[in-house]
Amino acid sequence: MRRRSFVFVACSPHPRTGVSTTARLLTDFHLSRHAPVEGFDTDPHASRYAELFPAHVRAVDAADIKGQISLFDRLLVNDETPKIVDVWSRSYDRFFGTVREIGFVEEARRNGVEPVILFHVDPSQTSLARAHALHAAWSDVAMVVVNNEGASPLGAAAHEILAHYPASRKFVIAPLDAAVARSLESPELSLSGFLVAPPPAMSIVVRAALKAWLAPIFTQFRSFELRQQLNGAEFLR
Amino acid sequence: MAQRPSKDAKRDDRGLSAREKAPPTFVGQRVKPAVIVVGADKGGVGKTTIARALLDYLAANNVLTRAFDTETPRGTLRRFHPDQTTIVDLTSTSDQMKIIDTLGTAEVKVSVVDVRAGGLEPALQALQDTGFLDAVREREVTFILFHVLGSSIASLDEIAEVAPYVDDADYFLVKNHVNDTTFFEWDPVTHRRYFEKVETAGEVTIPKLNELSYEQVELAGTSFSTFVANRAADGEPADHSFVLRGYVRTWQSKIADEFDRIRLLELIAGREAR
Repeated sequence: MRRRSFVFVACSPHPRTGVSTTARLLTDFHLSRHAPVEGFDTDPHASRYAELFPAHVRAVDAADIKGQISLFDRLLVNDETPKIVDVWSRSYDRFFGTVREIGFVEEARRNGVEPVILFHVDPSQTSLARAHALHAAWSDVAMVVVNNEGASPLGAAAHEILAHYPASRKFVIAPLDAAVARSLESPELSLSGFLVAPPPAMSIVVRAALKAWLAPIFTQFRSFELRQQLNGAEFLR
Repeated sequence: MAQRPSKDAKRDDRGLSAREKAPPTFVGQRVKPAVIVVGADKGGVGKTTIARALLDYLAANNVLTRAFDTETPRGTLRRFHPDQTTIVDLTSTSDQMKIIDTLGTAEVKVSVVDVRAGGLEPALQALQDTGFLDAVREREVTFILFHVLGSSIASLDEIAEVAPYVDDADYFLVKNHVNDTTFFEWDPVTHRRYFEKVETAGEVTIPKLNELSYEQVELAGTSFSTFVANRAADGEPADHSFVLRGYVRTWQSKIADEFDRIRLLELIAGREAR
């Protein structure tokens, strides 16, 4: 099988759509299997994602050329390590502008690097328009829509709204009870560690709720990963 | 300051006008030679950058080109394009011969001359004195001038000084934004006052390239295209940042769009592009 590395770009043009949560979950998904993973947090002011994984995630300023070099040059390395980019909503335009200007997608393909856009939806029309703009620019790049039902609920029309997005797959992040969600805010809580050994001080109810929340999310990630492996299997072509 | 030609042909110290001197003749050549001069009297406006971009553009379009660098003795252009660049002193007769006398015989029909700061008008005077401009008038050779402008009024004054030499040339004014120059569109009166003095073939705008990318190409000491191809000056694989290469590639592409817009290749081929 040809060597491939995935670059997951978690993004939304709007704040509070759950982008950093997805980046965190995906990072923990890989760490829970003791797989290598590398992350990039493009919010240079409040690098919450980088703070959660000091050993695996670094903060970069996508507006600065030196930051762009440390980000994009690394993303193009085909070392089979999945790379996750948490695109801050204020960096969204700059990030994709740079992707276009430097010809990142084309070079990624040449290097065997597979970009995957994790587009976080919200009910606004501009969100839909921006997703279509990305698809128009890079129609052959896989786009997965992420519906974080807690951060950006779509309501009863969710299915109809999602149907308009130019994506073949979707991830659904279920909402969390407020008390359980608070436990996630602790920077000491490692979700990958939690699955192996939950903190003893954590309430049994919270543990159960967190596990119940995490299991279907990780199943979706695993399903996506298997699908990509099947798609990349040369003997099935 | 060198004397400017007038409509009445000037006479040299032997009493001969340039027209009466035997002009170099290129009649009968299968391909018409073309000379592209990149120059400005003001320094620091990016002449050599534009000459480099031009050489890359021509190479990308499979146009064999030789280059002359008038920045003696060192030669900045030669540093980036050593294989095709010769350092010349345009005021020296022997070096004038290297360029003009070989136009018809050289296998490479396109010559790019990067004129050092302050050397544009003397260079044009030399071209006038050698009869080159007469050959241009006779359509035996194509002459394209890229006059790189700075933002100051001094640059505008240069236009008037250059005007008498460019009646038969394809004369382009180049606004180079590489060094963040801001130009004078804000004052249409000043702009009109100067620009009405000369008939130009048009304007060329060179977009900005970010400082870090520019600096890295400088440090690499290669052509822009070699840098984009991630090669060192000796042709060996290099380890240049992809981000910076991407910026340079995009910048080159925008410049190519500008050269395409003015139909530079058609002008070089001797067709009427305007």
